[in-house]
Amino acid sequence: MLYADYNATTPLDPEVRAAMADALGASFGNPSSIHSAGQEARRLVERARAQVAGLIGAEPDEIIFTSGGTEADNLAVLGVASAAPSGRRGVVASAIEHRAVLDPCAHLQSRGYKVTFLGVDAQGRLDLRALPAATAPDVALFSVMLANNDTGTIQPVAEIANAATACGAWMHTDAVQAAGKLAIDVKKLGVSLLSFSSHKIHGPKGAGALYVRRSVRMAPLVRGGRQERELRPGTENVPAIVGFGKACELARARLESDTRRVAGLRDLFESQVLACVVGTRVNGRGEQDLRLPNTSNIAFAGLDGEAITINLDMLGMAVSTGAACSTADHTPSHVLVAMGQSEAEARSSVRFSFGRDTTEGEIARAIELVVQVANLLREARP
Amino acid sequence: MSERIAIAMSGGVDSSVAAALLKQAGHTLIGVTLKLQECHDAHGSRSCCGVDGISRAREVAGKLGFPHYVLDCVKDFEAMVLLPAWQEYARGHTPSPCLLCNERVKFGLLLDWAGRLGVPRVATGHYARLEEGEAGRPALLRGRDTSKDQSYFLAGLSAAQLRRAIFPVGHLRKPEVRELAKQHGLPSAETPESQDACLVAPGESFAEMLRQRFEATARPGHIVDETGQVVGKHEGIHVFTIGQRKGLPAGATARRWVKEISPQSGQVTVTSDPGEILGAGFVAKDVNWLGDSLPAEPLACSVQVRYRSASEAATVTAQADGNLAVTLAKPVKAITSGQAAVFYDGDRVLGRGWIAAPATGSRG
Repeated sequence: MLYADYNATTPLDPEVRAAMADALGASFGNPSSIHSAGQEARRLVERARAQVAGLIGAEPDEIIFTSGGTEADNLAVLGVASAAPSGRRGVVASAIEHRAVLDPCAHLQSRGYKVTFLGVDAQGRLDLRALPAATAPDVALFSVMLANNDTGTIQPVAEIANAATACGAWMHTDAVQAAGKLAIDVKKLGVSLLSFSSHKIHGPKGAGALYVRRSVRMAPLVRGGRQERELRPGTENVPAIVGFGKACELARARLESDTRRVAGLRDLFESQVLACVVGTRVNGRGEQDLRLPNTSNIAFAGLDGEAITINLDMLGMAVSTGAACSTADHTPSHVLVAMGQSEAEARSSVRFSFGRDTTEGEIARAIELVVQVANLLREARP
Repeated sequence: MSERIAIAMSGGVDSSVAAALLKQAGHTLIGVTLKLQECHDAHGSRSCCGVDGISRAREVAGKLGFPHYVLDCVKDFEAMVLLPAWQEYARGHTPSPCLLCNERVKFGLLLDWAGRLGVPRVATGHYARLEEGEAGRPALLRGRDTSKDQSYFLAGLSAAQLRRAIFPVGHLRKPEVRELAKQHGLPSAETPESQDACLVAPGESFAEMLRQRFEATARPGHIVDETGQVVGKHEGIHVFTIGQRKGLPAGATARRWVKEISPQSGQVTVTSDPGEILGAGFVAKDVNWLGDSLPAEPLACSVQVRYRSASEAATVTAQADGNLAVTLAKPVKAITSGQAAVFYDGDRVLGRGWIAAPATGSRG
């Protein structure tokens, strides 16, 4: 299969698999046990914690392991909001967040919190002009993603973090898509919370982390143990955490070479598709092109993104549309709609995302397949 | 010749075997399961909410080696099938939602979806056959297995829809289908074939499910006998259908049938005389005729007035307004407004109309 959906998930790196094999075998102890088996498991978890912290410039004790990005986002939004003082019942988020942030925000809204969603420009970048109006003393948390999953557009998180700090609010960023694709330093970004996920960076599914700066006041979502500073109790998923740690170590070591290589392949793919398929346009690129190096979201005017996706799948190429197959909703990507696109435009878009294992040969083949499918669908059009 | 075909998969034995046969014939298949209900609306009916069907269909597609997708039709299904069905009940009629589902959803939305993918044809596991008829027109025939025949449900499809349809199991008998399922190592589970099985849990009323879904007010009223004497009360006309025997107050004679339902007064008239529910004819409206045009002369054919009933000899006469006047050779029991009347020439479907204005109570 020609896999071009790395923003959905990534294959396990062989080195990660090897690191996990140990934890799946002899080192089966419970990290909370006092005996040697427990101590060995604890060593594995803490080694992983240091590796994970290393990817984002954090201290190990600022890492809370979770089951993944969604849980980390939920813990950040709901955990901070519920521990905020009574005078701070406001949350500010961008309109293009992942549902893992949007849905907890909507939940807070239904519980009487004031939630403000900030819009984005045609390029998909948060409109900083709306920031002063949203910066109020009753805001407990700002949550803006570091890079968007659909378009790859990078957000001005450092600027928003400044504004958040100035009004005494915490700043959270969902870095699930950015981790491993951008150099991240939590201190330079000025964020207090940051979520990321293992399986997006060639680690196993079922592990993620929330960076929580030491000073942040927050409450857990589940209770029942002392693990993870009591913010995420429960016996640790040791094998997945070990894999996550190794994946972070690899991502850090390979960041520069991986991203440079992938950016070259992505740019080649993009320029060829734009040249060979009439009516194509890149979503979220804009003039500045502040995007993740691996993501290419392309609109095919007059064609249906879902039809392209399914036809490519039948030819052995995996890509993604934001929307699920639906006859009535035709719900297009909320991200593209927030960028001011019509529903028809948004529905014509397909997300291609490349990664560590993408080869030049695959890119050449991908271009061929995309051209072939676009032609087929243009001819089939009633 | 190998074609690209979308196969509608319920996860049951018929559509699974249909897929296996097409795959064996060398076609390129795209499996698709229609999601018709949200799981939380399914009230314990595991069939159409899809969770069961979707995962079984995906299992079959994986086994046979083709991709499988889920097409979410929840909102359209409600607007195109369930709401019109409720509106019929509210008028004292008894709807035939399975025909609407085939006409508007399976060979409407799904056909359109396949078209957008550049896939010209859609196959289903229906027990019906397609042959080339006169002047290259498609001929829709009863399934070979007469006890499973589903041509009644498909009789509202236009020639254009039928041209794009494939029914791979229509020439097989059910035991043969089961045997093929076994040979291909496919699940042999049954999938529902009628509205009751498809949409509601056993013991629940389809009509009452619809009323609750649309938060409609029931039309209660009196139950009266043929002399006009009140014999009981009821909570809503929607739970009655013409010819119904169950759930009626006992009278002097043991047996009673629903003869008439009045949506205006809410009155349900019952009779103890079975002759009173016989009808000699009716008008069929919104006719789908598979010929060139409606018959110019009165046409002798047979008609089926509900699923699984016998077909009856009849004469149909086209009226100026496009409706068909149907005269039955001998009176037929419980001709019910809202049901589909399907016309046959032997095994071949001539067309379908919706029963309106049945002439009940006349002994022919």
